[in-house]
Amino acid sequence: MAAEAVLDTDVVREAEGGRIPGNKGMWVGITCEFVEFAVLFIVYFVARANFPDAFQQGADRLSRESGTIITLLMVTSSFFIACSVNTMRAGLRRQSIYWLVAGLIVALGYPVAKYLEITWNLAHGINGESGIFFTVYYYLTFNHLVHATWGILGILWVLVRHLFGGYSAEDYHGLEALASYWHATDIIWLIIFPMFYVLA
Amino acid sequence: MNIHPKTPSTALLPLTLTWLGLCLLTVLSLGLGRWFHGANWLPLLVAVIVWLKGMMVAHYFIEAELTHAFIRRLLKVFIAFAPLWLILTGFFGGQFAQWALSLLRG
Repeated sequence: MAAEAVLDTDVVREAEGGRIPGNKGMWVGITCEFVEFAVLFIVYFVARANFPDAFQQGADRLSRESGTIITLLMVTSSFFIACSVNTMRAGLRRQSIYWLVAGLIVALGYPVAKYLEITWNLAHGINGESGIFFTVYYYLTFNHLVHATWGILGILWVLVRHLFGGYSAEDYHGLEALASYWHATDIIWLIIFPMFYVLA
Repeated sequence: MNIHPKTPSTALLPLTLTWLGLCLLTVLSLGLGRWFHGANWLPLLVAVIVWLKGMMVAHYFIEAELTHAFIRRLLKVFIAFAPLWLILTGFFGGQFAQWALSLLRG
């Protein structure tokens, strides 16, 4: 019954030109986030074109394990949050909360992994003044961490609302808006990862 | 009136398979970076993997094909943006640097 109501709403939305996952405000924010990172990517590629040797050698000095762990954490938390949305759509509120809690726990691993990576970097003499590659690496990855931190705070907020019955199979827009933001942040990391940890 | 029959999914299996695919591609790209260190064609392969991973998240996690045309285009353009630059700078990096320098010098 509840699922049917959602399906009807979505058929109507499609007739109007397509669904907006979550809400319009969130997609304005995601568009701004994409534009911001597109500009930062241009800076990366301009620096890479001008200093190819620095970028060839830089990745070898970074901890590839840290980059891989962060990628797996981002992808896994994104998966858990997508599961939270799908189970809520099916009317399985308790399961949806469990998936969201799992998503939060895994997402919290990102700042921890980043802290350990920075500690490792500093122990190996890598800081913001170690060359053009590391300057670009620090500002891009720190910027992503800031966006991920907003996402983690968002997950916390949505979780509190969810625990107090804020979402149902008919209305889960807040949960889906948060999921959209987290997936967008995940996509950005999937682009950053090979730039610094794979291409050497 | 054009009513599309597709509706948002409640299934978990496609999400699980997507997650497994993303994890495998992550490990694969890391391995490729090590095995083919310095190969000329590596940026092309990495660009394809980045694009594929981005599209998987957009298609299965965000369900982009059901969204408004603006969101669909936004995701397509952003996901293709960095891989294209990766290929261009991978193969024509020197020329780009020269053009940038000549632009700066007027």
